[in-house]
Amino acid sequence: MSQGFSILVDTSRCTACRGCQIACKQWNGLPATETRQWGSYQNPQDLSADTWKLVRFADGVDSTGKVYWNFFSDQCRHCLSPGCMAEAEKGEIVQNEATGAVIFTPKTKDLGFKATLEGCPYNIPRQNPKTKVMFKCTMCLDRITNNQVPACVKSCPTGAMIFGERDKILDLTNKRVEELKKDFPNSKALNADEVRVIYVVKDDPKKYYEYAAGK
Amino acid sequence: MSVTRREFFIVSGLVGAGMALSSLGVDVGPVKAFADELKIDKMKSAKTSTSVCAYCSVGCGLIVSADSKTGNIINIEGDSDHPINEGALCAKGASLFQTTASNPNRLTKVLYRAPYSDKWQEKPWDWAISEIAKKVKATRDAGFVEKNDKGQVVNRVENIAHLGSSNIDNEEIAALNILVRSLGLVYIDHQARI
Amino acid sequence: MTNHYIDLKNSDCLLIMGSNAAENHPISMKWVMKAKEAGAKIISVDPRFTRTSSVADFYTALRSGTDIAFLGGMIYYIIDNNKYFKEYVENYTNASYIVAEKFDFKDGLFSGYNADTRKYDSKNWVFKRDEKGIPEKDPTFQNPRCVIQLLKRHYSRYTPEKVSEITGTPVADLLKVYEMYSSTGVKDKAGTVLYALGWTHHTVGTQNIRASAIIQLLLGNIGIAGGGINALRGQPNVQGSTDGCLLFHLLPGYLRVARASQPSLDSYINANTPTTAEPQSANWWQNYPKYSVSLLKFLYGDKATKENEFGYTWLPKAEDGKTYSWLDIFDELYAGRIKGMFVFSQNPAGSSPNTKKVVAGMAKLDWLVHTNIFNNETASFWHGPGMDPKKIKTEVFLLPAACSVEKEGSLSNSGRLSQWRYKAVNGPGDTISDGEMVSKIMLKLKELYQKDPGKCPEAILNIRWELLDDKKQFDSHKMAKETNGYFLVDKTLKDPSGKDIEFKKGDLVPSFAYLQADGSTSCGNWLYCGSYTKAGNMMARRGKEDPTGLGLFPNWAWCWPVNRKVLYNRASCDPTGKPWNPKKAILEWKEGKWVGDVPDGAWPPMSDKEKGKLPFIMKPDGVAFLYGPGLAEGPFPEHYEPVESPLAKNIMSAQMNNPVIKIFKSDLDKFASNDPNFPIVCSTNTITEHWCSGAFTRWQPWLLEAQPELFVELSPALAQEKGIKNGEKVVVSSIRGDVECVAMVTPRIRPFKIGGKTVHQVAMPFAFGWLFPKTGKDSTTNILTPGVGDGNTMCPEYKGFMVNVKKA
Repeated sequence: MSQGFSILVDTSRCTACRGCQIACKQWNGLPATETRQWGSYQNPQDLSADTWKLVRFADGVDSTGKVYWNFFSDQCRHCLSPGCMAEAEKGEIVQNEATGAVIFTPKTKDLGFKATLEGCPYNIPRQNPKTKVMFKCTMCLDRITNNQVPACVKSCPTGAMIFGERDKILDLTNKRVEELKKDFPNSKALNADEVRVIYVVKDDPKKYYEYAAGK
Repeated sequence: MSVTRREFFIVSGLVGAGMALSSLGVDVGPVKAFADELKIDKMKSAKTSTSVCAYCSVGCGLIVSADSKTGNIINIEGDSDHPINEGALCAKGASLFQTTASNPNRLTKVLYRAPYSDKWQEKPWDWAISEIAKKVKATRDAGFVEKNDKGQVVNRVENIAHLGSSNIDNEEIAALNILVRSLGLVYIDHQARI
Repeated sequence: MTNHYIDLKNSDCLLIMGSNAAENHPISMKWVMKAKEAGAKIISVDPRFTRTSSVADFYTALRSGTDIAFLGGMIYYIIDNNKYFKEYVENYTNASYIVAEKFDFKDGLFSGYNADTRKYDSKNWVFKRDEKGIPEKDPTFQNPRCVIQLLKRHYSRYTPEKVSEITGTPVADLLKVYEMYSSTGVKDKAGTVLYALGWTHHTVGTQNIRASAIIQLLLGNIGIAGGGINALRGQPNVQGSTDGCLLFHLLPGYLRVARASQPSLDSYINANTPTTAEPQSANWWQNYPKYSVSLLKFLYGDKATKENEFGYTWLPKAEDGKTYSWLDIFDELYAGRIKGMFVFSQNPAGSSPNTKKVVAGMAKLDWLVHTNIFNNETASFWHGPGMDPKKIKTEVFLLPAACSVEKEGSLSNSGRLSQWRYKAVNGPGDTISDGEMVSKIMLKLKELYQKDPGKCPEAILNIRWELLDDKKQFDSHKMAKETNGYFLVDKTLKDPSGKDIEFKKGDLVPSFAYLQADGSTSCGNWLYCGSYTKAGNMMARRGKEDPTGLGLFPNWAWCWPVNRKVLYNRASCDPTGKPWNPKKAILEWKEGKWVGDVPDGAWPPMSDKEKGKLPFIMKPDGVAFLYGPGLAEGPFPEHYEPVESPLAKNIMSAQMNNPVIKIFKSDLDKFASNDPNFPIVCSTNTITEHWCSGAFTRWQPWLLEAQPELFVELSPALAQEKGIKNGEKVVVSSIRGDVECVAMVTPRIRPFKIGGKTVHQVAMPFAFGWLFPKTGKDSTTNILTPGVGDGNTMCPEYKGFMVNVKKA
């Protein structure tokens, strides 16, 4: 399966307004978790059963002495061959045919969490500690099968997230990388052949997030 | 490269409207935000109205959806037709749902704090308006300045101040302006100053 | 904004300075990024590397409070390198005007200063005029007393080296910004300035903006697509509330408040209606009598007659020269002279500077009426930190308000676009709209004054209040129509082409050009005349047409004035009416009329010496002010140190601070400048996830989750000096108090080299307080800030005050 949908996450256009992070909560009715200030704009600190979309913040100084502040709007990559599904033999995790969305069903409570997490190169699956059900981004399957773009994509003001058919998104991705390379030679798309949620970065992915390009 | 918001929808228009999720063979338990019926299905019969964001001054358009059965707001998201935000919203805008009745922290009763009291009391509107008007009148009549030191007629009140607001509608501001000028206030200011 | 949000896409260079647009106006970045993708350059100048800086093509830092030095250097660079747009400057500004002999500037002070009154006599700053009153000019710019020569002389002191010493910005960075931005001083390039509270929150705030106006005029960037000076304003309807003038010094539509020295309507009008001898000046404010009389008719209806000066006597008269601003109000509260206060939908206990004085003042009130949708530190001040309810007599009425989607009405964005929003649902419980609350109070007061006249009852009884719907509730449509204005008698007038046009009593006035000074029209705000007409509620329109392709969307809602999207747009054309840049033509004079945006006046371009008018129609002489004798501190912006500074001496002159600012004298008004106990510069700021003092947003779990607690951003160098680790609790202190918060150690802030010494700067949001959430000690940032304001506006100096930071 290679058609279906994709999302281009163009980090070079992201201003970290976090509309996507909250729009995800709003649409999906996800509760807030209790957080504390820990020396970062990034909160909650990590994805969780109640946080499926998280803007990660990373600042630093590059080798030329220039300051950078990179934003990485993290979420499930909806892999073409999802590693998380390796052990999910009884339909605990399903891949929706028409869209390519990878969906955790309530049956994930019966799956081993450690194995599922280890199967994911991007550190995405999270488990509700009480119910043991696992959660993550659904690509807004309910919306995209009703002619609406995912809530996060809709909220994005700067075109840092674009949703569409996979082939069109791949075209856009390639064009964008070429454009960016003029000013930022390290620009690249991350694992575009393997994932549906394709991140474009203009620098070393490790300067965005440890698992940006996978384990 | 430039892809407009409109094109996002065209690109995404191929799955077909209204396809039931169950027909995709998917149990979308985690997507379920509202008890018995999926939000996406409720949205189809919801009463929608347009609004404008209540925070910064960009003026982003919103679509507010109220459930056709309960009348409660179930969703607020960006208005894709709006020429400024084209559907987009920032963190605050995307959270506007939590300013509505869905938020249990909302004030829903007139609260009154009596002199030297350490608590709030709930009060009815009629009582509050009557008490407020009496106090305004007493203070105004006691402090009214008909003439200044130079003997110029000034008809002003210097012992009552008014602050606010850039956070209410133009028509409400016009009403407030009438109120404060008719009282003779001169200490009048609001957020624009700060 | 002179322009509007979508117009940002038309720019070739965006100077974002005094604004962190990505943080505080996130959706504006949609249009900033559109410009960037079309090849525009973004420049971010900010003490911190911000969300905005992260997408900028060039970023550099300056010490908080030194913007005039930074911009002054740019003014000199532009003139000295001949980068200014000669034809524009010559025709549309006062560059060629000759300034009279009395004007002078010496060591930080302009001529005419009185140290006792802390005021200037601006008679020393006038232009030389001929016997008719027309300013004398030198179009060759050679006369040493002409404005552009004086401008050059003034800013020749602002060399890159000197500016760098003051701002801490490296010389190379200054030159890079100057070079990048001044590249827009040509016909086919547009540069725009985006600013916000980063420029206004200073004792020299107005002059910060003046300095940018001078730059924009020199570069020919005012009136054009992708240009302008764009204030990104902070609240949903702060534009509307400013236009509506809930302000001590103004009446709706920027009409002046009546003053004690103006006992009659005639004296009020004469004092406020400018005249001009310049034959080609439209001098739009000559219409002042029409707008003010129509306002009086709006207020008093039939009770306002020619015989009683349309009720002018009932208006309160403010004392001449006296300010009654925010800071004055809390000073009066603290002195015990103000006994009652209304606070509609805002949280001064969190958002005022020097909040300890604010709450101490509120504790002296007899009563406080507050409306809001959530509880906050203002309504609950009586049980806040350090308060003993048993000792506080203040009666507090906390009125539950409907939120934005629970009522109907209009609000105006920064681009002056007034948009209608609808009521989606009823509010919960006993909530009602603020408009309905005002209506209830007004009607009750009328009832009380009817029964017992008290003092000056006419002012209250004669006020018109015909604003209720069938259910006897406040009707926003009725008020919107009243604001637009009505004909009160049948009237035949001339339309712009000179044809007769008939109006009937009760007709809505289609445009302010038809308002009258004889009492035959009413209008609540002349700027909004045209917003609700025979054609319907213009603010509710949803037309998507964009005929120019420049993003004007003339049929979407309605903007003042008269749906004009770009102010002073006739300056986008040369004196014959040809656009400077035909590729982005906002306007063009074609076959005897203007095509494009709504022009600022239908007159021909100025090359028509008989009928043509100059483009800056709100200025008496029709041209824009490079030399601006109207401001309190002088005609040219000059660098002064903030009231609290890390320096002992102003590097620029012997005058340390803005010479005209008002200094309050209460025991809680303390300042610490050049004080070793408070060696660190601090600025307050807003964050995306919270709105202002956080009074709404802290109660929203999703936003609180995203930004849960107060923090201070500091550099690794300062953290090391103080032994502070990222994420640790620290105490930030100023001479006014202490605040506890979490340290955010980040390379996005760097120390400055100022006048040879290292100066640290830190930054704090002010979105938190003690009421909710309870995370420890009082986290009201504004405990720290000084209660001192700008020389013209009294806007407080929240940015660039002195603190210390230590581990908690």
